Amino acid sequence: MANRQSQPTAAPLALLWQLMRGFRGQYAWAIAALFVFTAINYITPLVASATIDFAISGKPAENVPTTRILALMGGADFVKERLWFPALLMVALTMIAGVFNYVKGRCAARASDGIARRLKDRLYDHLQHLPASYHDRAETGDLIQRCTSDVETLRLALSTQVVEVSNATLLVLTALPIMVLLDGRMTLVSFTLVLPIFLFGYFYIARVKHLFREVDEAEGQVTRVVQENLTGLRVVRAFARQEFEIDKFAEPNKLYRDRSLKLLRLMSWYWSTSDLFVVTQQGLVLFTGAWFISQGTLTVGTLFAFIMFLNMLLWPVRQMGRTLTDFGKSLVALTRMGEILAEPEESAPDVSVLPKGPPAGAIEVRDLVFGHGEGPAAINGISFTVEAGETLAILGPSGSGKSTIMHLLLRLYDYQSGSIRFDGHELRDLDRQWLRSQFGVVMQEPFLFSKSIGDNIRLGRHGAASDEISEAARVADIHDTINGFPSGYATLVGERGVTLSGGQRQRVALARALLQDAPVLLLDDALSAVDAETEATILDALRRRHGKRTTLVIAHRLSTLAHADKVIVLEHGRIIQHGTHEELASQEGLYRRLWTIQNSIENELLETATKDP
Amino acid sequence: MKDEPQEDVFSERLDLGLWARVFGHARPYKRLLVPLAISAVVIALCDATFALVTRWAVDDVVGAHSAVNLWPHVIVYAVLTAALIASVWVFINSAGGLANHMSHDIRAECFKRIQQLEFAYFDHRPTGWLISRLTSDCDKLARIISWGTLDLVWAVCLIAVIAVILVALHPVLGLLVLSVVPPLVFISAFFQKKLLLSSRETRKYNSMITASFAEALQGLRTSKALVREKENLGEFQRLSSSMYEVSIQNALQSAVYIPIVLTLGSLAAGIALWRGGVDVTGGKLSLGTLVAFIFYAGQFFNPVNQIAQVLVQMQGAQAAGERVLSLLATVPGIRDSEAVRQRLEEWDKPDRPADLAPDGYPREIASLEFRHVDFSYEDGEPVLRDFNLTVDAGQTIALVGASGGGKSTIVNLAARFYEPTGGSILVNGHDLRDRSLEWYQSNLGIVLQGPHLFSGSVRENIRYGRLDATDAEIEAAALSVNADGFIRALENGYDTDVGEGGNRLSTGQKQLVSFARALLSNPRIFIMDEATSSIDTETEQLIQQGLKAIFKGRISFVIAHRLSTIRTADRILVIEKGRILESGTHDSLIAAKGHYHALYTHQFRQERDAGLLESVHQSQPAQQISPST
Repeated sequence: MANRQSQPTAAPLALLWQLMRGFRGQYAWAIAALFVFTAINYITPLVASATIDFAISGKPAENVPTTRILALMGGADFVKERLWFPALLMVALTMIAGVFNYVKGRCAARASDGIARRLKDRLYDHLQHLPASYHDRAETGDLIQRCTSDVETLRLALSTQVVEVSNATLLVLTALPIMVLLDGRMTLVSFTLVLPIFLFGYFYIARVKHLFREVDEAEGQVTRVVQENLTGLRVVRAFARQEFEIDKFAEPNKLYRDRSLKLLRLMSWYWSTSDLFVVTQQGLVLFTGAWFISQGTLTVGTLFAFIMFLNMLLWPVRQMGRTLTDFGKSLVALTRMGEILAEPEESAPDVSVLPKGPPAGAIEVRDLVFGHGEGPAAINGISFTVEAGETLAILGPSGSGKSTIMHLLLRLYDYQSGSIRFDGHELRDLDRQWLRSQFGVVMQEPFLFSKSIGDNIRLGRHGAASDEISEAARVADIHDTINGFPSGYATLVGERGVTLSGGQRQRVALARALLQDAPVLLLDDALSAVDAETEATILDALRRRHGKRTTLVIAHRLSTLAHADKVIVLEHGRIIQHGTHEELASQEGLYRRLWTIQNSIENELLETATKDP
Repeated sequence: MKDEPQEDVFSERLDLGLWARVFGHARPYKRLLVPLAISAVVIALCDATFALVTRWAVDDVVGAHSAVNLWPHVIVYAVLTAALIASVWVFINSAGGLANHMSHDIRAECFKRIQQLEFAYFDHRPTGWLISRLTSDCDKLARIISWGTLDLVWAVCLIAVIAVILVALHPVLGLLVLSVVPPLVFISAFFQKKLLLSSRETRKYNSMITASFAEALQGLRTSKALVREKENLGEFQRLSSSMYEVSIQNALQSAVYIPIVLTLGSLAAGIALWRGGVDVTGGKLSLGTLVAFIFYAGQFFNPVNQIAQVLVQMQGAQAAGERVLSLLATVPGIRDSEAVRQRLEEWDKPDRPADLAPDGYPREIASLEFRHVDFSYEDGEPVLRDFNLTVDAGQTIALVGASGGGKSTIVNLAARFYEPTGGSILVNGHDLRDRSLEWYQSNLGIVLQGPHLFSGSVRENIRYGRLDATDAEIEAAALSVNADGFIRALENGYDTDVGEGGNRLSTGQKQLVSFARALLSNPRIFIMDEATSSIDTETEQLIQQGLKAIFKGRISFVIAHRLSTIRTADRILVIEKGRILESGTHDSLIAAKGHYHALYTHQFRQERDAGLLESVHQSQPAQQISPST
C-alpha cells in the first residue's frame, strides 16, 4: 500500500513491458517451445519429399538436405522396402511437435491470463482509490468498458498474436536457410510477392484503422441508448414517448450497421486482394518449379517441399490483416487503461498523525471554502464548531451546500482553503481511511451492495453478531420489514433480489451506520423517503442514544431538526443563521419562515386538540 | 424469480424449428442469400481443384522428357484464381451484409417490443439482462446465420469435392485416406463442446467481473465512507482468480485438441505416402497423383474443424436465439384491443372533430373511476381488494398511509402501467381497456420519487414533456415550479448537461426538473408519487401555491408524507392493506380523530412534549403566522 501515489503517464508499450514483469519467463518458454514445434514441422514435409524423390521415384542421391534426411532414415533402398517407416516417422514427428505446441499454449495462456488478471486487479484497486472528483467527471459505462473489454482485447492479443508474430518471424528465419540450401532460384521465386503483400497489408490497415474505432464507438452508442431507455423506462411510459424512443434508437442502430458495412466493404477488398497475391505467389512457385523440372534442374520432391513451405509461410501473411488489427486495437486499449492508471490517487498526508486514545468526535470548521471545478464556490467561508456528543442540524434550500459539507468532512473532496479540525487535528494531516472510519454515514440516496440485507448491515462492523445486526435494524425501524421477507435477513438486495423502496433503503443504510458505532454520525437527508410516523419512531430511538455520539444531520422536516443542540442555516454556500432552535425560531429569517410553514399545520392540530379534549 | 434471467439454460440438441424461425429473419435479404451460397460452393470447388492442377502440371513435366508447354496449366490456374478471388469478395460482402442487416433488424424489433411491454415484464428482468438481449445476443444470432452458414456450406462442399476426387483418382487409397475423417469429426465435436463449456464459464465470470466493476463505481462513496477498499479488492480478486483458472483451462483444452487433430492429419498423409508409394513403385500410380494425395490428406483439418465449430456454436447461439425470439414473441399484456384498433383506424385522421380523441371518444377526461378493483402482482399476494374510488376533473386526491399499503399500486393502475386483476377502471364511464393506450398515457403527467433524467441538457429534459414546446414555454414551466433560479445559476443555464441519469444535479434539483417536465406536458391527469420529498420546505411551499392553479380542472393524485403537501387536497384517503380506511378533507379527518389524526398528531405530540411548541408560542402569537410569507 506504500505506492499509493500517482504513477507517471507511461507510454502504452512501456506499460505493457511493466505489466509483463514476472511473466517474461513464461513467454520465453512459449517462444522456445514454438521454435521447436516449427523446426519439427519443417522436417516433416522433408521426410515425405525425400521419400518421394529418392525412394519412390528412384532418382540418384544428390547433395541436398533431403538426401541427408534419407540417409538418417537408413538410405533409399532401406526405405523403399519399408515405406511404412517414413509414414510412421511423419506421424511420430507430428506427435512430438504436438507436445511442444501444448507447452507453448500452456505458457502463453498462463502469461497472458496472468497479465490480464493483474491488470484487472490493479484497475479495480486504482479506481477505488481515485478521488470522488474523478468519478464525477468519468462515465461509468466507459470505465467499465475499459476495465473489461479493453483488458480482454489485450489478453487476446497477448495470448495469440505475440506468439503468432514470433512464430512467423521464426518461420521465415528458419525456413530461409533450408530453402536456400534446397534451391536458391526457387527461394527467390517464393519470396517475390511476400514483400508486396506485406506492404499492401500494412498500408491498407493503417488507412482503415480509424474505422475500427468508429464501429466500436457506434456500438457503444447503441448500448448507451438501450441502457438509458431501460433505466428511464418509467419516464418513457409516463409521457407515452415510445415512438420518440424508437426513433431515437433507430439512429445509432442504423449508424452502427452502416459503419460496420462500410468497414466490411473495405475489408472485402483487402481480403480478396491479399488472397490474390497469395494464390499468385503459389502459382508462381508451382509453374516455375514445373518448368525447372521439365528442364531437369529440379526434383519433384523439392518442388513438393517448396509448396509445403510456402503454405506454411503464407498463412501468417494471410492473417496479417487480423494481426495488425488486433495490435492496433490493443494499443488503443492500452492507452485507454494507461489513462486510468495515470490518474493520481487520493493524496496521503506527508506525515500522518494518528491521534492517541479514543476519538471524541469534536469538529471545528473555520473559513471553509470549496468549489467544484470552474463554477461558483459551493462552500464560501463557513465556520462552526460541534463539541463532542453534540447534535448539529444543517438546513437550507437545494444546492446550498449542505451535502458538500458532509463530503468535505469525509474528505471525499479536498477543501481549497480554511480548515477543518477533528479533535483538534487538521483533516489534511490525518490518514483518510482512519478519518472515514470515525464517521457513520447515511447518504441521501444510499447505496446498498448486491449482498443479503444482513451482510449489507454487517458492512458497518466486520464480525458483528446477528443479534447486534437485528438490534441496529430495530433502532432503524426496519427489523420487522426485513423479517416480513420470505428469506428475512438473507434476502438479496438488488436486481436479483427484492427491490427495496427508497425509505427501506434509507433505513437499511441507517442500520449499517448505527452498527458501525462510530464517534460521529452523519445523516444527509437520511429519512426523506420515510413516512412521518416511522421517522418519529426512529428519531425517538436515536435520541435515546443522544449525548454519546456527535451527530450532524441534514433534513427538511423541522421535526427532525428541532432536537439539535445547534442549527445552522445555509444559503448559497454561506451560513445565514445559526443558533439553537429557540433562538432561530424567534428571529426573522429563513428558519422562522420554514418553521412557520411547517408549523401552521401543527398549530391547527393543536387548536383542534385543545378545543376538543 | 420465475425464469432466473441471468442463468443461461442451454439445450443439448439443436432445435430445428427454432432455427427455421431464426432463418426466417433472413427472408428480406434473399438477394444476399443466393450469392452467399454460390460463392461458398465456388470457393470449395476452387480450393479442391488447385491440387489437381498441381498434379496435372507435375505429371505432365515428369512424364514428358522434352520441353512441355505449360501455358494451358497456367491459364487454368489463372481462371481458378480469378473465380476464387471474385467469390471471396462476394462471400465477404454477402455474408457480412446479411449479418449486419439482420442484427440491425432484430435489434430494432426487440427495442420496439421492449417499448410495448408492460411493467410487469420488467419487474423480474434486470436491466443488464435486457441490454445483452439487444446487443450481444442479436449479434451472435446474426453472425451464426451469416458466417456460420457460409462456413458450413464451404466446409461440406470442400469435403465432398475432395472425397469425390480422391475416390476417383484411386478408390482404395482414397477410402483409406478418407477413413481418418470420421474420427476427426468425432474428436473435433468432442473438443469443441468442451471448449464451448469452458468459454461459457469464462463468460459467466466475465459478466460477474463486469457487475463487480459497476458496483464498485456506483457504490464508490459508500465504500470510501465505510473504508471497504481492502475487502472489496479481496472479493474482486477471488473473482478474477476464478476467471483466470477457467480461462487457463480453456486454453489447455485447445492446446491438447490441436496436436491431436494435426496428428490425425499426418496419419492420413502417412497412409497416402506408404500405400501410394508402394503403388507408385509398382507403376500403378503416377507421382503427381501421390503428391496430390498427400496434399489432400492435410486438407481435411480445416473444413472438419469448421463444421464442428459451427455446430457447437449453433448450440450455444440457440440459447441466444431462444431468448431473442421469446422476447419478440412476448405479446404485450397491456395493449389496444382489437375493437380499439378498429376505432383507431376509423377515427385517427386529421379531419376528425377537434373534441374527439384518436379513438373517436371525447378528448376531455371528465372522470376516473375504480370499480371493484382487485390487484395482485405476479407473486400472487393481493395488494388491492374491492377498491372503489371516483374522481372528477378538478379534484385532487391525496393518498397517505404506511409504505407497502398499496398507494403506489393505485397510481400505477390509474396510469395503466398495470391492469386490474379484477373489476375495472373507467374513464368518462368507458372501461379504460376500450380506450387507446397511447392517447390515455399521453394525457398523464407523472413525477416520481426517484426522479430520472436522461443525459442531455436541462432544456432537453424538460422538453421531453412536450416535444414541440418552445424555449419560452420550457422556461415558463421551470419558473412555475421554482426551478428557473437554480437552472440559471448552473454553468450553462438551460444548456447545462445533467450527466448520466442526471447525476450532476442534486436529488432535489432533479425533482424540480422532473416537475417542470410533467407540467410542460399539460396533462389531464397529474400524478405525484413522493415528488417533493427531497425539496426544501420553502421551495416546496412555493410549488404548492403554483400547483393549486395547475391542479385546477385536472384529476390529480398526490402521494406524500409531508402534511403541507397533502392538506390542501380535496379528498384524503388513508390507505392500509389495500383498502380505504378513511376518506375526507383534512379538517374532517382531523375532527374524526381516527387514523389520520393519529398519524399526524404523533409527530406533533412529540414536539409538544419536547416543549418546543411552547417556546414558539411564547415568541410569536399564532395569529401572526401566515403561510404567505
